[in-house]
Amino acid sequence: MSDKNSGHVTLAMGAGGKQTAELIERVFARRFDSPLLTADDAAVLDPPHGKMAMSTDGFIVSPAFFAGGNVGKLSICGTVNDLACMGARPLYLTCGFVIEEGYPLQKLEQIADSMATTAAEVGVTLVAGDTKVAGRGQVDGVFITTTGVGEVVEGVSPAGAKAAPGDAIIVTGDIGRHGCTILLERDDFGIEADVTSDCAPLWASVKAMLDVTHDIHVIRDATRGGVGTVLYEIAGQSNVGVRLDATVVPVDPAVGGVCRMLGLEPLYLACEGRLVVIAPRDVAPALVEALQACPYSVGAAIIGEVVDERPGWVVLNTEIGTQTLLPQPTGELLPRIC
Amino acid sequence: MSDVQKKTPAEILSSYDGRSLRIMEVCGTHTHEIFRLGIRKLLPPQVDLISGPGCPVCVTQVGFIDEAIWLAEHGATITTFGDLVRVPGTTGSLATARAAGGRVRVVYSPLDAVAYAREHADERVVFLSVGFETTVPAACLAVEQAKAEGLQNFSLLTANKTMPNAYAALRDSADVFLYPGHVHAITGTKLCEDLAAQGVSGVLAGFTAKELITALAVAVAKGAEGKPFFVNAYPRVVKPEGAPSAVALINKVMEPCDAEWRGLGVIEGSGLRLRGEYADVDARRVFQMPSIEGRANPACRCGEVLRGACKPSDCPLFGRGCTPQHAVGACMVSGEGACSAYYQYGGDLQ
Amino acid sequence: MCVGLSAKVVRIQDGTAIVDASGAKRDVSVALLDEVEPGDYVMVHAGIAIAKITDEDDHETDAVMEALYS
Repeated sequence: MSDKNSGHVTLAMGAGGKQTAELIERVFARRFDSPLLTADDAAVLDPPHGKMAMSTDGFIVSPAFFAGGNVGKLSICGTVNDLACMGARPLYLTCGFVIEEGYPLQKLEQIADSMATTAAEVGVTLVAGDTKVAGRGQVDGVFITTTGVGEVVEGVSPAGAKAAPGDAIIVTGDIGRHGCTILLERDDFGIEADVTSDCAPLWASVKAMLDVTHDIHVIRDATRGGVGTVLYEIAGQSNVGVRLDATVVPVDPAVGGVCRMLGLEPLYLACEGRLVVIAPRDVAPALVEALQACPYSVGAAIIGEVVDERPGWVVLNTEIGTQTLLPQPTGELLPRIC
Repeated sequence: MSDVQKKTPAEILSSYDGRSLRIMEVCGTHTHEIFRLGIRKLLPPQVDLISGPGCPVCVTQVGFIDEAIWLAEHGATITTFGDLVRVPGTTGSLATARAAGGRVRVVYSPLDAVAYAREHADERVVFLSVGFETTVPAACLAVEQAKAEGLQNFSLLTANKTMPNAYAALRDSADVFLYPGHVHAITGTKLCEDLAAQGVSGVLAGFTAKELITALAVAVAKGAEGKPFFVNAYPRVVKPEGAPSAVALINKVMEPCDAEWRGLGVIEGSGLRLRGEYADVDARRVFQMPSIEGRANPACRCGEVLRGACKPSDCPLFGRGCTPQHAVGACMVSGEGACSAYYQYGGDLQ
Repeated sequence: MCVGLSAKVVRIQDGTAIVDASGAKRDVSVALLDEVEPGDYVMVHAGIAIAKITDEDDHETDAVMEALYS
């Protein structure tokens, strides 16, 4: 590696030769070190016991570094949480990188550090990876795709179609912080607020719930589209109504302030470390208690219930005791001003 | 008013048994908040709430969007409130223009558009100036600031509107108007008092749950008497004199013109355009734009909805060809639009 | 038609105020208001303060009802 190029990713580093090996050695291999991660063409693994869950997700975030995380941490949390939502203990992950030519190696190392730290925290092993370098302007910084395999806890089978009237709806913490953080980091609207992304791995929280009961009907992570979108998905899949109490949905005051400034609805801001959990009403308090004992779900709360009425819709009990529909998600979040 | 003695605003509404009343909330933010808070559920059956034309996006003519798209296609960087991005023009929206490579930036304030122009001297930045008296001062401040800084790359595409002649055009559409609180924070209360003297009743309303319910209770209690009245139910924000310096600024930078309101047609003297001495920040002149006339979807009944002549659900497109995700008319796009509010909050069921 | 934000002025400099709404802060122009001081509440629309206000609506709505009864 020439001195001139030592600080940045070059096209040669993606060409598969010596420089690729050096990039992998310098950035990834030492951080993701494990007996399962070899220089061979594929990882050879022991299969999980019982049922296996598998998921893949691509991670693109601008900016790649934000208050409370970066695209690396996000890429581990996202796939780990998808597995956790199926009641699966995350075992193995693979990761594919597409890196823009000229990307600072130091930043890439920070991203890899976050991935290693988060994976270690969850107890998931990175078993295979791939690195490609794309010409300047062909990608924006770093894109990461992770694929995960998990072992489903026996007797657990949450699904979006299983919400039943009488169930309680739990959210595992205050909502919308990730979406709000990214909006603030982009600085398109000149707003400042002390908000940190909720980006977090949630297997421990799910595990704590499964230790209480296996009778959990739905677990979903509220990522893009936020809690509101997830609730509409579940209402549709289960053909039930959702009744939310608007006054108890936890929202950080500063997130609320940003939303009021821009005319946005916190229920539609993205989260990256929040679950929506639907379970029979009688076990819900014990689930909330178990969640509150876990570091990433101390703010867990019951926010509503599943009902027979108005299947497919989310109804809000308002601050003045009336009921209104939660407007359905419309895609791109646009500030409402005039 | 002994019959309302000691009743709370909510009780006045729920116990009302007088004549039937049409109350028009002129302001789109009122429409939005009334739906968001479920306030219609508090009203007795004799009271009909009509959503009026006070959503600037909804009354903006189709041709204005076409003009903005033309600018985006001719090298301008469009800066706009988020409200306008998905509004359909004759064939596309600013969102589709952006997807096709046009530069469209959403800003919080016209002053941010000036800052963007300052930082991007190689781009020709146009701010889409929509909105009523509340919003115009911000656009005028932006113009003054750009001129003071000597910026050569900032201009306005105007479609601003003013309320006085619109009230006159709407006077038979309702028994009581809920006047838009923030417009009158700028223009004051004299117009409302004059309207009362001419037989037009209204209540100036704020935007919190308590303010809206109180304003509606006043509208119902006073409306039952049948005598023309005006009540300022938003005095913490609206002073009788308004904001004279804002009015002076508007008059310095802009002058009245006839304006086309979607659904209401041309209302004399109800628009604002840049004065001649501000021609160098008038995008239509700076870009030597051709005259562009838009064509609305003929089946769309936004116009009648805006006049309160029909409910959104009476339109053949409502909920079928026209939804918030794929809007045909502006009333379905804007979060403040009556169609959007009806669709998203199940207005027909409320 | 005009989304308003009630916010507290925390600092003023050259016709610009930093306002705070539950911890969300932004520069807004106060060029159109005569006298504004830190601690005042203002109604903000599209990046400018359009009115100096009182922040709570209890007293206001009580007074409106009082006037209606009288």
